[in-house]
Amino acid sequence: MAASSSSIDLSAALVLEPVAALDWLVILPVAWCIGIGAILMMVRHQGRLQPLIAVAALCVLVGLDSALLWHVAGEGPVTMVMGRWLPPFGIAFTVDLTGALFALVAAIVALAGAVAAITDIDASGRRYGFYPCLMLLMAGVSGAFLTGDIFNLYVWFEVLLISSFGLLVLGGERQQIDGAVKYGFLNLVATTLFLIATGYLYGIFGTLNMADIARKAPLLKETAPLVTLTALYLFAFGMKAAAFPVNFWLPASYHTPRIVVSALFAGLLTKVGVYALIRVLILLFPVERLALSPVLSVVAVLTMITGALGALAQSDTRRVLGYLVISGIGAMLAGLAVGGPDAIAGTIFYALHSMLVMTALYLAAGLAARTAGGFSLQTLGGIHHNHVLLSGVSLVLFFAVSGLPPFSGFWPKVILVKAALAGEHWWLAATVLLTGLLTLIVTGRVYLLAYWRPAGNAATDVPVALPATAFMPLLVLTALSIVIGLYPEPLLDLVRGAALTLDAPAAYLDSVFPQGGAP
Amino acid sequence: MLLILVLAPFAGSLAAICIPTQKGTAAAWLAGSIALLCLVISAGLYTVISSGTPLRYDAAWLPELGLNLTLRMDGFAWMFASLVAAIGLLVVIYARYYMSASDPVPRFFALFLAFMGAMLGVVLSGNLILLAIFWELTSIISFLLIGYWHHNANARDGARMALTVTGTGGLCMFVGLMLIGHIVGSYDLDVVLSSGNVIRDHPLYTTVLILILLGVLTKSAQFPFHFWLPHAMAAPTPVSAYLHSATLVKAGVFLLTRLWPVMAGTDEWFWIVGLAGLTTLLLGAYFAIFQQDLKGLLAYSTISHLGLITVLLSLGSPLAAVAAIFHTMNHATFKASLFMAAGIIDHETGTRDMRRLSGLFRYMPITATLAMVASASMAGVPLLNGFLSKEMFFAEAIETHKYNILDTLTPYVATIASMFAVTYSIRFIHSVFFGPPPQDLPKVPHEPPHWMLAPIYFLVFSCLVVGVIPALTIGPFLHTAVQSVLGIATPVYSLAVWHGWNLPLFMSLIALVCGVGLFLVMKPYLTTSIEGPPFFRRLEGQRIFERVLVTLSWKWARSIEMRAGTRRLQPQMRILVAVALVAAAVTLLLQGFKPAAIAFRSIDPAFALIWLIGMICAIGAAYQAKFHRLAALVLLGGAGLVTCLTFVWLSAPDLAATQLLVEIVTTVLILLGLRWLPKRIENPDDPELMTISTRLRRLRDLATAVFAGIGMMLISYTVMTRELPETISSYFLERAYSEGGGTNVVNVILVDFRGFDTLGEIAVLCIVALTVFALLLRFRPATESLETPEQQRVQNAFDDDHPDRKKGDSIAEYLLVPSVIMRWMFPVIGMLAAFLFFRGHDLPGGGFAAGIAMSIAFILQYMAGGTRWVEERLRIHPLRWMAIGLLVATATGLGSWLFGYPFLTSHAQYASLPVLGKIPLATAILFDLGVFALVLGATVLILIALAHQSVRAPRAQMRAAKMAAKENA
Repeated sequence: MAASSSSIDLSAALVLEPVAALDWLVILPVAWCIGIGAILMMVRHQGRLQPLIAVAALCVLVGLDSALLWHVAGEGPVTMVMGRWLPPFGIAFTVDLTGALFALVAAIVALAGAVAAITDIDASGRRYGFYPCLMLLMAGVSGAFLTGDIFNLYVWFEVLLISSFGLLVLGGERQQIDGAVKYGFLNLVATTLFLIATGYLYGIFGTLNMADIARKAPLLKETAPLVTLTALYLFAFGMKAAAFPVNFWLPASYHTPRIVVSALFAGLLTKVGVYALIRVLILLFPVERLALSPVLSVVAVLTMITGALGALAQSDTRRVLGYLVISGIGAMLAGLAVGGPDAIAGTIFYALHSMLVMTALYLAAGLAARTAGGFSLQTLGGIHHNHVLLSGVSLVLFFAVSGLPPFSGFWPKVILVKAALAGEHWWLAATVLLTGLLTLIVTGRVYLLAYWRPAGNAATDVPVALPATAFMPLLVLTALSIVIGLYPEPLLDLVRGAALTLDAPAAYLDSVFPQGGAP
Repeated sequence: MLLILVLAPFAGSLAAICIPTQKGTAAAWLAGSIALLCLVISAGLYTVISSGTPLRYDAAWLPELGLNLTLRMDGFAWMFASLVAAIGLLVVIYARYYMSASDPVPRFFALFLAFMGAMLGVVLSGNLILLAIFWELTSIISFLLIGYWHHNANARDGARMALTVTGTGGLCMFVGLMLIGHIVGSYDLDVVLSSGNVIRDHPLYTTVLILILLGVLTKSAQFPFHFWLPHAMAAPTPVSAYLHSATLVKAGVFLLTRLWPVMAGTDEWFWIVGLAGLTTLLLGAYFAIFQQDLKGLLAYSTISHLGLITVLLSLGSPLAAVAAIFHTMNHATFKASLFMAAGIIDHETGTRDMRRLSGLFRYMPITATLAMVASASMAGVPLLNGFLSKEMFFAEAIETHKYNILDTLTPYVATIASMFAVTYSIRFIHSVFFGPPPQDLPKVPHEPPHWMLAPIYFLVFSCLVVGVIPALTIGPFLHTAVQSVLGIATPVYSLAVWHGWNLPLFMSLIALVCGVGLFLVMKPYLTTSIEGPPFFRRLEGQRIFERVLVTLSWKWARSIEMRAGTRRLQPQMRILVAVALVAAAVTLLLQGFKPAAIAFRSIDPAFALIWLIGMICAIGAAYQAKFHRLAALVLLGGAGLVTCLTFVWLSAPDLAATQLLVEIVTTVLILLGLRWLPKRIENPDDPELMTISTRLRRLRDLATAVFAGIGMMLISYTVMTRELPETISSYFLERAYSEGGGTNVVNVILVDFRGFDTLGEIAVLCIVALTVFALLLRFRPATESLETPEQQRVQNAFDDDHPDRKKGDSIAEYLLVPSVIMRWMFPVIGMLAAFLFFRGHDLPGGGFAAGIAMSIAFILQYMAGGTRWVEERLRIHPLRWMAIGLLVATATGLGSWLFGYPFLTSHAQYASLPVLGKIPLATAILFDLGVFALVLGATVLILIALAHQSVRAPRAQMRAAKMAAKENA
């Protein structure tokens, strides 16, 4: 064995030079989450210890992701190949600005969720694995954002699908199981389709590495059914992202679990779908995206409109928010339909904003329910009177989600509208703004009924003390939204950098194939 | 300085929020000093501005977006900024005494200051996007200010209406401004102002114009968007005095004036703006006569006066623009003072209803005098400032600008509206201050505190002074403002009070005389009539607005939700498959799909037969799934076996072995679970249930399924008949041993080449087990599946019949021999698992297969001995095994850090161990160990969760029996 191996030129297959310590940042978020998840499973019965470990671990995760972002912002895309196999053979984790940004924001959202969960998830929820599921969910989410291999992406999709399912059924109420069954079935179909598409992709390309696919796609576009492949991916990821008309799973399930779980889902799940769409449509198959652009436009418009109108028809705050998540997805799809660095920057910005704000909105709805006893707009009331701060924070979030200045939702809308106008997509621009208006009407209605209107019955009209651990995450997320709104420059620079890398992926390819690559 | 001017109010607002609720006076002082500061700053800047060059402050903010923090102050902006600051200061003084201590006053002042900042921002923005931002801010803050008394339903509705209407307009305007940027290529105001011809000649001009006008007309409450303003009167009076006289509603007019040089002069402009303005002028004045609410009257009067300004701007002549700017100022002064007076009356008497008020002159003579002067100015009485600008308006109305009906109509409409203005001004004064003493007012009226009157003194004084000696007071300021808007087009105008006997003066006189006459005629009707003008009462904008909202939210949104958002799973699945089908089919067809011709090559009949069986099994399983679960499960097993055979056939023993093990375990686990599912009551062959619609539905589903299957097949076929690309699998085959250190490629792929995927997948397995566990712990089976299975009942009956046997003996003896053998199998299977594990790297086997095999050993024990028997003898902590497995696998991956290699780098080595001989010891084997532990743990955890159901079942049975007994009793 030793003799035979010496005759092989190792440099054609293996990474020979040692990996720089900083490059380990690429893989650490995922490995860290899995490890902590395992440890949390072991301390299943220590109800007090679990949140401590989880919160500390997520703080570290935020730190890791920030360091990763800083590293990537300085050095350009970074690649680490698992098991030192050279790409395309080994699984590559390739992190560009897009991935790092998404991962960081996801970590912040998860941290907020973990802190809020201290009071929202009871002892039995902890025993049945809230925190391990959360950590493994984060492993899945981070993995999906950081990987550079399409099959590996599928694996992380599965991880996050199953852990989200675990979170969804936590508590086991009848209504929850009902929502979870729908969620599970429909998402499994989408995931299966993703797998099938990936099978075809492998049949066509003979490789799974995204950079490899990206550089081979132009050579194959004449002969292979790439548009069909892209359409399949669009369908699979579109469903994950909750695009019309394959988004029924979201309103059917998001209002059923504990509010913290809903908040986490709103921040994390659909955005992974959007991220995957960005990757596939922009990085892998830009030519095919152009062919599908009319379809994308129609889907985007319908998603926005049905989302906003759906929100208008609801009387449960959680369902209202569920539909608002959908209409936000429509705006992100609009950016993808337009294409070009500006629009993509808008999409990424919008996604990041939506992660923060939607999570915060669900948390706020949870606190509102705690103070005023419920989620129904028919019974809620008097929150402004009893909790001015909560009311103020919610109002900021409402404006942010409606895209009013000076909050975080304004900038992505500006960028998207500007890009749509420049690309002469009048309808998209108009719909983005119309949706903003409808959202304003929706949130205005919620605010009027639940916050300003005096409480209907005297029983709920007493100030309830809100625990700091429940309130703090909400405050922090809202503060982030305001800061981004007032000082969007740094984020805007990052987002534009991310979009440029996606649009002209030379840096991304270089990072995977430093010498220009073998095959 | 400009930056301070804009930022100071916001800073003050933040500070005011921090003031405790009780300290209203402190907040007032803070707000007052901030307003004073702004006033002083703008006053100080006048000398710079009056030289003619605008003052600019530039800071790069978001250059990529074309958005810079550009503040720009020219004469016009200066005039507006001073107005905002000055009236702001006066209103703060007024509000200090107006607001009651029971309200959260600091919050009021915080919002007030923020509004002031936003308004200054609108006025001073030198960049279109920045302007739009501040514009939206004014909408937001006005929403909060109007809804300040949020416990009042009118205030809530008014606030929402204002926000919706102005917010909509703001969005449209935003698009319009962005389009201007798109046309001009820059958002900078200076650039935009100098490219008027480019904009006017652009094909998008009409679109831009309409969009921007939507913003302007909604903000300035112009017809048909005027309806929100009267409802906004639910706001505290200081808010009305500030927002609805001098600032917010003037923002629309401000923008109209600002963009006048670049957009005015076209026919579109003239028609849209002019028509809106004239209608508003007339209707506003007419409606104002019929209001019973003091503030409602003022609101409609404001609407009318804004219409007047709009008409002036629509004319497109420079002289009219001068008049517009002048009237903007004049209106702000007299209207703010009138609002304050109305607030005092409300404050001191407790009502604003003109039917209840009368004869207040004897109680509050000072207020009355001031209000009289102000309303005389509103009516356009000579020697007051309102008269001057109205004369200019008349003069312009007479001039012919365009040859069309609208232009001809203007002077007549102007005279009539002016007549109405006289009528409602008189009514305002007469019904409140004159007549008999008031009856049963909520409070006894008296003069307000001195300081509450001070702002009115000042405003009324300036009305007088400007009215008497305009050229000396307002003249130079107005000139600076006009010049900054019109530039070289500035016309020659005169601000004299006396222009001689001319047509405008006659028009004024006619209006005055007829107005008084009209009032005398209407007086009896008005003293008793209900709110709102006759005939138009029903046609209120508010009703239309609400109807639209209701239609949108209840009718449309509901129906869309009913159609698109089904809450059942089956239709959703149907849509899903259909969409996928369409997505694939359409793209394939569009691309000119040409599959290669089918070429039959020696198909092995045996293999084909296996596949046929497999297919039949799969279809049978799907067919039976709904009616006969057990049969479906068995068929599923058959399909699995065929897959397994296929792997063998295609020389993949490894996959075959794993597949076989997995099939066994899953089938057993599902069988264990089946017991707890409720039985189906429905009989599938019942002819009554098989209606035509059911049949059709099933047929449709079948068709969908068949088409989806065919589609999948076609795509697979296309992909597979392509020339095989150079794949990474060939590479894997080459390198598995040389660099992976193993000869079993599958295993090397799993633990080395794509070990990371495996890590992810075992994490999935881990969560699945955890979720199943959590679900089953909370699972309570349906009552009908609680009873003891039939077999056990028969066995127990047998025991009961034989006196020598105890109950339960038969169950214990049942299958005694197999169960003993099963117990003995434990170590044997354990050995097998170890064998599979160690040889995994080179020969079929591996951690996954070993783990599954080992879990079979546990399953057998549970089946043979029962749950209690096993758990008394074995310590089983599957959760811990899973956790350890996951940790070991991850730690192995991280271990390569120590050697400076990437994650999961394997280190291959062989070690000679006693007894076992030479075994491969790649570090991958540690990883494999983790996989083993996790797979074992997960499977056993699911097993335990299922098994514990049977432990819990007897308890549940007892509970059910008790319930039944209770019901019987």
